Amino acid sequence: MAPGDPVELKLQGGLGGGNSGQSSEKIATEKAYLDLSQKLGRNLPAFYFSVTSSSYPDTLYKIFKKDQRENLEKLIEQYGNWNEISNYFYSAKKLELALYDRKPDNIDTTIFERSRAIREGCNSLYRSYDDRDITFTLSNIKKAAVSEISVLDSATGQVSKYNSLADVIPLVNEVESNYSLMKSKANKTAKFIPAFYWYGKNNQYHRWLFGDVPWFGENTDPTKVSKGFFRGDFGNSYLDGRPVVSILGDALKWTLLLNLIAFFIAYAVSIPMGVSLAVKKDSTYDRVVTAINFVLYSLPTFWIATLLITFFTSDYYADWMDIFPTHGVGKVGDNFTFWEQFTDRSYHFILPIFCMVYGSFAYISRQMRGGMLTVLRQDYIRTAFAKGLDPNKVYWKHAFRNSLIPIITMFASFLPAMISGSVIIEYIFTIPGMGRISFESVVARNFPVLFTLLMFSAILTMIGNLLSDILYGVIDPRISFTKKK
Amino acid sequence: MADKSGESYWNIVKRQFRKNKLAMLSMRVLYVLLFIGLMADFLANEKPLVCKMNGNTYFPIFRQYMVDWGLGAWQKEFRNNDWMSMEYDFAIFPPVPYSPTTIDIENGDYASPTGEQDVKSWRWRHQLGTDQIGRDVLSGLIHGTRIAMLVGVVSMSIATIIGILLGSIAGYFGDNRLQITRVQLFLNIVFIFFAWFYAFSVRSYAMEQALADSFGSFTLQFLWSILLFFLIMIIPNVLAKPLKNIKYLGGKITVPIDIIISRAIEVVISIPTLLLILSITAIVKKPSIMLIMVIIGLTGWTGIASYIRAELLRIRSLEYIEAAQALGFSEWRIILKHAIPNALTPVLIAIAFGVAGAILVESSLSFLGIGVQAEVITWGKLLSTARENSAAWWLAVFPGLAIFITVTIFNLLGEGLTDAMDPRLKQ
Repeated sequence: MAPGDPVELKLQGGLGGGNSGQSSEKIATEKAYLDLSQKLGRNLPAFYFSVTSSSYPDTLYKIFKKDQRENLEKLIEQYGNWNEISNYFYSAKKLELALYDRKPDNIDTTIFERSRAIREGCNSLYRSYDDRDITFTLSNIKKAAVSEISVLDSATGQVSKYNSLADVIPLVNEVESNYSLMKSKANKTAKFIPAFYWYGKNNQYHRWLFGDVPWFGENTDPTKVSKGFFRGDFGNSYLDGRPVVSILGDALKWTLLLNLIAFFIAYAVSIPMGVSLAVKKDSTYDRVVTAINFVLYSLPTFWIATLLITFFTSDYYADWMDIFPTHGVGKVGDNFTFWEQFTDRSYHFILPIFCMVYGSFAYISRQMRGGMLTVLRQDYIRTAFAKGLDPNKVYWKHAFRNSLIPIITMFASFLPAMISGSVIIEYIFTIPGMGRISFESVVARNFPVLFTLLMFSAILTMIGNLLSDILYGVIDPRISFTKKK
Repeated sequence: MADKSGESYWNIVKRQFRKNKLAMLSMRVLYVLLFIGLMADFLANEKPLVCKMNGNTYFPIFRQYMVDWGLGAWQKEFRNNDWMSMEYDFAIFPPVPYSPTTIDIENGDYASPTGEQDVKSWRWRHQLGTDQIGRDVLSGLIHGTRIAMLVGVVSMSIATIIGILLGSIAGYFGDNRLQITRVQLFLNIVFIFFAWFYAFSVRSYAMEQALADSFGSFTLQFLWSILLFFLIMIIPNVLAKPLKNIKYLGGKITVPIDIIISRAIEVVISIPTLLLILSITAIVKKPSIMLIMVIIGLTGWTGIASYIRAELLRIRSLEYIEAAQALGFSEWRIILKHAIPNALTPVLIAIAFGVAGAILVESSLSFLGIGVQAEVITWGKLLSTARENSAAWWLAVFPGLAIFITVTIFNLLGEGLTDAMDPRLKQ
């Protein structure tokens, strides 16, 4: 389904050995791979069902090595005859296994080298799908298998041919004949016939959502470890094995802190600004601030952040310009006082928060100005002025509340935007928050973390929408979500 | 939509738009950017435009195009060579004599635009400096313009097609005007599956190969898949014609298409594009800039769809549409020929802002180093190299400035169009 083999990633390249030629080692690494892929649930089908072409077998997921499975898919794509392909695949496997545990041969000392060459040839067969590559590898294998040495029998004085690997030649021939059979019996039509396979509940997706540990009662099967998303088990990171909950918990703290500060600053500045712009519509003040806001809005955050880091975090250009720290959140230990911690944190937070805030000044105050202008055109505002009410009271008491609707609509997007909006800022300033985690999990293809983040962001979207719906009702009692009779 | 003086709505919008000086200026800057994007190969290239060697005249840049399109091969003299150090009898180089990937070893390690450079003459200076391994920044900017324009054009074309299609269906039919027969609904649902299977599933291997192969062949394969999809979708509608006469199958069902499409718009809006693209690049084997453009297009149609929907809700109750209906024109003919052309003007607003957004998303992604192949130079990628050395101010300033200017002119164009279409301004 996805590139990068998570099992390989977790085994940290501990595989791929087995060059010593001992079958025990080979079997041990295969078993380690199988165990781990079972533990991660990778040996299960991906979803409840699959819709493919009928040239694909429904059991392809049982080939548990990802690279081999993908190579088989490519062969199926070319030839479409699974029976012949699997015969070819298993005959190659048989050939490889036959070459382990070779005893040293007194007469033929090349045996180790040659059997290793054949094993490696088999391994490259598992990964090649191009006809030329396969033919080339097969001819190499053949060459290694049939090479003979001349032996002089000291007793009779006769020269005889001797091949220490004579027993594997039929196996090599079998691989070759299976390969040519596969090519000649290609079935091009099978891939145009759709096929539907039903796998039932025993699949990766179901396991991820609900887990495989029984919901009630004791878990007796030690191979079943996952409790599933709904029971709060988000899995473990592929990289360091830490539970996803603890990784995201640490990260959430930073993202939430930064975003809340930025949120309050942005709204505290731009709401009054928007109101005052609407009140002084078409004045010089309005024109200048609106123009500045427009420019601020178009300035890409990552550019401003890069500029700030370039110019204000080093003394390269002038001594006084080395004002801010480059990155991080500051180092704070137990032996610092609260005040020291506070100043160090603020010192590190100034640049990121500035970058998060300046764009929203423009956006929020613009919305506020627009909302306020619409309200100020209403008749009841004119009436309020006409009866001689204090203008400030008209603006803040009568107009303000009604012009908040567009702001609340924006509020709904604040929560979900928290994660995606933080990706770049946290990447640039190296803040260990949700945004940086999501970037890193994408780069490392660390799926348990990534899936949980996406689910989290979906839940935040729903909460944001719910909150703004509730707020609509609070601001404007005429808005109601119950069905009117 | 003609007013009293007989002037069409489109002309009024154009007249209003011309009054807006900033918007007109942006328009001119846009022409310049488009020109730079189109002509990038002739503006910044390590190959000479014309050169003379051993009595023969060559046009290496044109030859490059021929080689790329498989129309010709390189002459013997030019195989495996270093264009800069060749001995020419005579050669005219482009204004910037470096390709974005040309590595100038003498001027590596961040040659400053203001400082000393080890070059033959002023002509060969790196006017905007170089990066760590000696690649020319100005050349990267010029070729980055092409990518930025391409992102805007490709993603917004996809978004416009989807947006106009869905928005006009939702607006024109509303919740109770789309009536189709039972058999048609059933066959269409069944055949969507088949169309998907034959157009995309079966061809996924070929498309994957094409994506790895080149930009052009992927576009071709992708368009072919879409064509195939629609060709297959003709079958159920043809099949339904005779079957309609059977009593039960011919029964009409009202499809609340407006609700369905409006909810779909809300769902797509609530997906954060950056996060979506990040996750897709994690599951795709070879993320490329083409893929990113396609995703931006597939998520960026909502604004266009809402505009078109609102316009068609208004237009569908106008008399001329009723007249067309009374004349017995087919629904599709009315939508395509009579309704949509009158609803297109506001879509330009959504497209202008959409291009700004698309360029911003693409440059932030390439800034993060996601989805851009090593040999492609984009503005975002250039900007990200500034993070490695804060002494190289030119890497921080110029690429960001390019992004800023482009995003601003598209925002200004959007603003200008909004103002020009504001009915309160109509005189």
